[in-house]
Amino acid sequence: MYNASRPLIMHIDLNSCFATVEQQARPRLRGRPVAIVNRRTDTTMIVTASYEAKAVGVKLGMRLRDAKKLCPELIGLESDPPKYKYVYHQLMRIMSDYSAHVRMKSIDEGVIDFSESTAALQGRDLKEIGYEIKHRLWDEIGVAMNCNVGIATNRFLAKTAASLHKPNGLDVITHENLRETLSTLALEDLTGIAKANHARLEAVGITTPLEFLDADETTLKKQVFKSIEGTNWYQRLRGFEPDKRDFALKSAGRQFVMDGYRLPYDTVLKRLHHLCEETGYKVRSKGMVARGVMVYARTYDHGGWHAKYMAPLPFFSNEAIYEHAKRLFDGAPDGIKMIAVTCYGLEPAGRDSQLHLFGDELARERAVTSAVDEINGRYGKRVIHSADTLSTNERVKEKIPFGSTRYMD
Amino acid sequence: MNDEIFLNEQVEVVAVFRSSRTMCEPVRFRRKNGREVEITEIGLRHPTKQGTRTVHVFDVTDGGADYRLEFDSERLTWRLVMEADHV
Repeated sequence: MYNASRPLIMHIDLNSCFATVEQQARPRLRGRPVAIVNRRTDTTMIVTASYEAKAVGVKLGMRLRDAKKLCPELIGLESDPPKYKYVYHQLMRIMSDYSAHVRMKSIDEGVIDFSESTAALQGRDLKEIGYEIKHRLWDEIGVAMNCNVGIATNRFLAKTAASLHKPNGLDVITHENLRETLSTLALEDLTGIAKANHARLEAVGITTPLEFLDADETTLKKQVFKSIEGTNWYQRLRGFEPDKRDFALKSAGRQFVMDGYRLPYDTVLKRLHHLCEETGYKVRSKGMVARGVMVYARTYDHGGWHAKYMAPLPFFSNEAIYEHAKRLFDGAPDGIKMIAVTCYGLEPAGRDSQLHLFGDELARERAVTSAVDEINGRYGKRVIHSADTLSTNERVKEKIPFGSTRYMD
Repeated sequence: MNDEIFLNEQVEVVAVFRSSRTMCEPVRFRRKNGREVEITEIGLRHPTKQGTRTVHVFDVTDGGADYRLEFDSERLTWRLVMEADHV
């Protein structure tokens, strides 16, 4: 039994977002193969490629150097996050004109849930609204801005619909064309079916989306996913909604790929300090304090290492985060290629009502930290920072925030 | 990589303020060396924050090269910050 109700979920996805934004900003790049990278080197990975580049085989995650062998005329551009954030805010503004129930899923995609209030539709057809949003993107951001629109009864099928005809498509999946649509796809085309889930499905003989759809709930729950996730997939594929939920902020962090080969330990520590400062600002900007710190390092031999620490009392200052992280980092291996710092166990600041033995010291730390945050908020990010990170400003630049859009203000 | 030259050059700009996609449209600018650039298209205008100060970034082209102009809304100054030629 499939969900036969009216499709009221609209998924909007900007096509090759960062490359398209660059092609919008620089008209002379339109129609040409463009790759967006995070650093101006030939060994850097491609973050986004334009459709012209994808057409000749350039893929995400490919090294720029290798991509240029495939496509010598490829133009590599360094990412420009403020530009992409502006487009993100414009997209959100346009979507919010149609309903109060808008959720941005990442920097380049969002969902309008018309099922919350069909009155917002004012009797209009969803396809008509979808085409109108496409036109508004052209009028209000620029002619190069294309998006894919998917409409269905749940978030998963709406996203699937938005991926059917790229670029610039608009598709609707209903209970009537569900089987036909899924028959055109491979398992890996489904959002959420990556390597691990693919292997789980194959282990029970499910190799196509249609076989996945025809599998019974018990098989999915007991044999394939061995959890409630099996039931969720059973509902998701049939157009019912198991994904309408918000997740509380539990952690915040930042990662950095080293800007040199086998940098000395002291230099790596400076970058770690920089990450701690940015992580601390993220945590405080959401009115939170942290209880735990985790540091992660990946080495040149592809080995991963991590260490974490849960403190007895919450902490919030850059100094406290760095102090914990630095101590943990003592055990890090040599030959570090990438580092990451994550604060976890986040809780709202001020919840801790217990009197502290060193209350005065804590109050002083809180006052200094909030004064520094206020100055940085007024005069620019990192106007005041630790002397230790004086040399890292130009190196540890802001990068594109994939995934969560919590810090896109 | 792309041939981008990063600059920080104060320029004289003729701009039109009107109801349009970008609201403010630089149409021509003169560089320090006296060269005048006629803008044929504004690709994108986006605001950036430098503390509480707003700086509007204009990505423009004259058909031969791409330029990035920054307009400081507090100091009312225009700067040419990038020139790119990816032919």
